[in-house]
Amino acid sequence: MTGSEKVPVVTDQPETCRVADAEEKSLLRKVMDNFADHCRSRSLFVLHYCTGCGAIELPPTITSRFDMERVGVSPMVTPRQADLLLITGYLSVKTLKRVILSYEQMQAPKYVVGFGSCTINGGMYWNSYATVKRLDQYIPVDSYIAGCMPRPEAIQQVFLDLMAKIDAGKATAWQDYYLNYDAYLGRQMNLFGQDWHTPTDVVAEAKHYGYVGNGTTGEHTALLDQRATWSLDTVPELYPARGRNERSRP
Amino acid sequence: MLELFADLVLMPLIAFLFGLVLVLMARRVRAKIERRVGPPVLQPIYDIVKLYAKKTQISHGLMHDVSIMMLLGGFITAEIFLPVPGLDGLAAEGDLVTLVYIMMVPMLGLALGVGSCANPNGSIGISRALTSMLAYDVPFVVVIAGALIHYGSSNLIDVVRIQQEGGVSTWGVTTMPLLAFAGLIAMHGMLGKEPFELYIAPAEIATGPMVEMSGKYMGALFVMQCFQFYTVGVLYVTMFLGGGEMWLTFLPKVAAVIFISVAITNVFGRYKTEDVIRWMWRWPTAIGLVGLAFVMLKVN
Repeated sequence: MTGSEKVPVVTDQPETCRVADAEEKSLLRKVMDNFADHCRSRSLFVLHYCTGCGAIELPPTITSRFDMERVGVSPMVTPRQADLLLITGYLSVKTLKRVILSYEQMQAPKYVVGFGSCTINGGMYWNSYATVKRLDQYIPVDSYIAGCMPRPEAIQQVFLDLMAKIDAGKATAWQDYYLNYDAYLGRQMNLFGQDWHTPTDVVAEAKHYGYVGNGTTGEHTALLDQRATWSLDTVPELYPARGRNERSRP
Repeated sequence: MLELFADLVLMPLIAFLFGLVLVLMARRVRAKIERRVGPPVLQPIYDIVKLYAKKTQISHGLMHDVSIMMLLGGFITAEIFLPVPGLDGLAAEGDLVTLVYIMMVPMLGLALGVGSCANPNGSIGISRALTSMLAYDVPFVVVIAGALIHYGSSNLIDVVRIQQEGGVSTWGVTTMPLLAFAGLIAMHGMLGKEPFELYIAPAEIATGPMVEMSGKYMGALFVMQCFQFYTVGVLYVTMFLGGGEMWLTFLPKVAAVIFISVAITNVFGRYKTEDVIRWMWRWPTAIGLVGLAFVMLKVN
């Protein structure tokens, strides 16, 4: 490619994909946003995804030994109410599906923290056929804690780092899921098969809330659109093969 | 007219602000009992602002939105009918029976909203919530009836005036201690604290009616919790602890009533649904009926 060649510009994206620059905001807007970010950083409702061994480090972090409620971190029990998803250890291919379903049910701004080596590179399960090696290929991750297992002190430190990041308005990994949904969906489909889909319509959410980017739609979301035309009225030959994914239509 | 308008604005506002203090107190007391430090002073505000500042939210249809209106509207209406020091609002027009009726509206609103969520945990939760309402309303109505007969008036302004003119010896808690005790248990059930926390049950049915509430809906529920603490506390103080002469004595009395509830809640487990009904219809109801008999003997 020579320097004189123009990079193709995508022009068919809707107007809402343009994100306002920080300078464009009015002063009131900036003050409001800073205040909201500060409140977000001081109030983290945590959903524990406790299928890994890291779950054992959370009770001392939450209860009287280290008491994370001092900085506003408190446990919640449903993804709808939670801000922060803690993936405590290794994920198998099967549990990753549940993580993605839970993650898509959470309301933005939402944050993900991966616990321990297993979420970073597979850890001690690196050569297993059934475990997921890198979590951030499938959902956007804000922070990792290295170690096998990280002590509560390390968990506290990552909470404090995440709070500083949220307060500065820099914890925006959740926007990446909207902006590059096609790539995430493609990697999920690599693992789960071509008929993988979730109940949440992420593309529609991205359009509604104005987070459409160049990577939001693509060849993989086209497969979802194709599947959306299927209904219970259509002839059974068009249904996807059963058994590969528990959410396939009967 | 202008005064009434000021009352209508000020009474819910004070209820919300003092409700924040009560919520903070509840969380701090719980932390102290568990030997923790507990949340910072501004934590209830952080939580509510954060929930209202969520950038996406899920609505489950029109009834889901209307239910939030009923939740907050029910409690805001209840504040207007509760006389507090210097502010009477509509307390002269409505009475105790109206208030009891209005206090059921939020729970019914929640039931309508949860029904449209189609989440099985929510459905179980709300059926448990309405069942527990059935359980605590029986002793509560007995207590209300006793208080009405004792004071000879259902007007809350009269109830407060009678207690304030006679001093501590005419307070409901000294003239009808059994009813006051039964009322305290019914209030505890009304707050949905352990052991009557069957419809929240986070580890069992994932907070029940709140399971599908996200973002701004959850924020509205946090606001509702402030109103709920305040309303229940003020109603008890009005009926049994002499109501409010001045804010400096009135608010500590409200906080004390809520403190009793949040302090004992941490040492209990959770009753099953049928156990809650059995217990509520047996002990507080029996104590309330004995108290009611004493009141009727005294009146006659």
